Amino acid sequence: MNAPPLFNLAETVVKWVDVGIFVLNKNFEVQLWNNFMAHHSGRLAEEVVGKSLFEAFPDLPKPWFTKKVNSVFLLNNFAFISWEHRPYLFRFAHNRPITGGADHMYQNCMLLPLKAEHGKAEAVCVVVFDATDTAIAQNLLKEALETISEISNRDGLTGIYNRRYLENRLSSEFDRARRYGGTFSMILFDLDHFKKVNDTYGHLAGDKVLVEITRRVKEKLRSSDVIGRYGGEEFVLILPQTPLDGAHQFGERLRQMIAAEPVIFNDISIPVTISMGATEYRADMPGYAALTHQSDVALYVSKGAGRNRMTCYAPELEAADAKP
Amino acid sequence: MNPSMLTTDQRDALQELTNIAMGQAGASLATLLDEFVDLSVPRIRIVEVADLPAALAELVGKNNLVSAARQSFYGHLRGEAIVIFGEPGCQALADLMGFEGDLGEQGETELLLDVANVLCGACLGGMMEQIRNFTDTGGPAELSFSMPSLMARQVTAGQLIDSKRVQWSHALLLEVNFTIKNRDFIAHLTMLMPEEGIDKIRAIVDEFLEAF
Repeated sequence: MNAPPLFNLAETVVKWVDVGIFVLNKNFEVQLWNNFMAHHSGRLAEEVVGKSLFEAFPDLPKPWFTKKVNSVFLLNNFAFISWEHRPYLFRFAHNRPITGGADHMYQNCMLLPLKAEHGKAEAVCVVVFDATDTAIAQNLLKEALETISEISNRDGLTGIYNRRYLENRLSSEFDRARRYGGTFSMILFDLDHFKKVNDTYGHLAGDKVLVEITRRVKEKLRSSDVIGRYGGEEFVLILPQTPLDGAHQFGERLRQMIAAEPVIFNDISIPVTISMGATEYRADMPGYAALTHQSDVALYVSKGAGRNRMTCYAPELEAADAKP
Repeated sequence: MNPSMLTTDQRDALQELTNIAMGQAGASLATLLDEFVDLSVPRIRIVEVADLPAALAELVGKNNLVSAARQSFYGHLRGEAIVIFGEPGCQALADLMGFEGDLGEQGETELLLDVANVLCGACLGGMMEQIRNFTDTGGPAELSFSMPSLMARQVTAGQLIDSKRVQWSHALLLEVNFTIKNRDFIAHLTMLMPEEGIDKIRAIVDEFLEAF
């Protein structure tokens, strides 16, 4: 029944299928180059076949791609390249000039060993998939997730990090210091008699004080420092690469700066002072909770000693019953 | 019989099949890294998916951080292979592959995926080769593989798989330690398969037993 085909089926499919297909021999000479490759690269099969791939396309990442292809010859095993690690192998234009969102075609590639009778790879077939749609969708999703995570990490009133983020950040700073060495400090500070501010001037005034103090402290931070609101009128500073004496000097400056200038709310001058407790990472700490505990102990010593002061943690403080 | 069980004979046969395949995986890894690779005798068992997180935690240590890559395979067998790397392994691999200093997250991921791909391809490819040697039923023993992707980085083994979300019932757990010279490098290979995949494995193993 079957009439002999009018054309070679496999050859025609390879030529027209909407994925890039090309074949390299062990010298990286192109053996096959389908229409997808030709149309996107602007180089016809006649121009490319028989030539070295790297001579035809000098912009290819030669050392890396050579290694990848050689591993296929060597191991007789397929290999993959994902756009997530390398956006593209060939810099092709994408097919979404209108919907856009990318300035090149994202590509996934699959490298197949073409085995001869004896079972060893004699050539490598590279299949290039256009992954632009997936990449754009995934990038949008990633941005959305980043926005969500950013929002969920922020304190609504002051815009600085919230407790949830601070706990995570402390934990990761702790792990980093433990793994790579170095140190960092943590400062815990409280606005003194904040309840009185709320009771005397109202909650709007209290909010204004929180926002204003946050603004002043933020101005003094280095870009790597982290500020967050731990709760109520309690704030945390994480100072990477900073030993305790550095944290002490820095905290002192903050304390003096805040005490020096009252917060103005509706023409009312509200004096504000802060009490601070600081501690630094040490390799013998069992976990990051030790930092919170120690800065808390130091903070309570500051409060017990009359507020508006800075205390650095020392083990002796643990015994002192300094809780106000 | 409990579907998750293998008879002693079946387990021994499967062990033998995977020993050879694992040997090939080890050899491939050695070629890729250009280092001598030592591997332990694979320990093999079938576990129910519900027990998988606990089993993995037991394999790699409850509190140790691991990274994992996954890859699907289909054809003669269908399932998903997961390669779990112990934490020190990543840096050791990077050193071996000649990456200096900080590889960056992208580079490290690419490296993990390359190694996972080699282990899965060699191990499953090796198994298929064994199967082709003694069987001629059930179609050609060939497999296709999907692109590998990263499952997780730096998590504890218990967090790796949420067994409630896994739709397949059983997992073939293959534990192999690949050791490279004096370095800490441990990889665990796990294969998740649907019910019929496990049945097929059992049928293959039975055929293997009859052939010898």
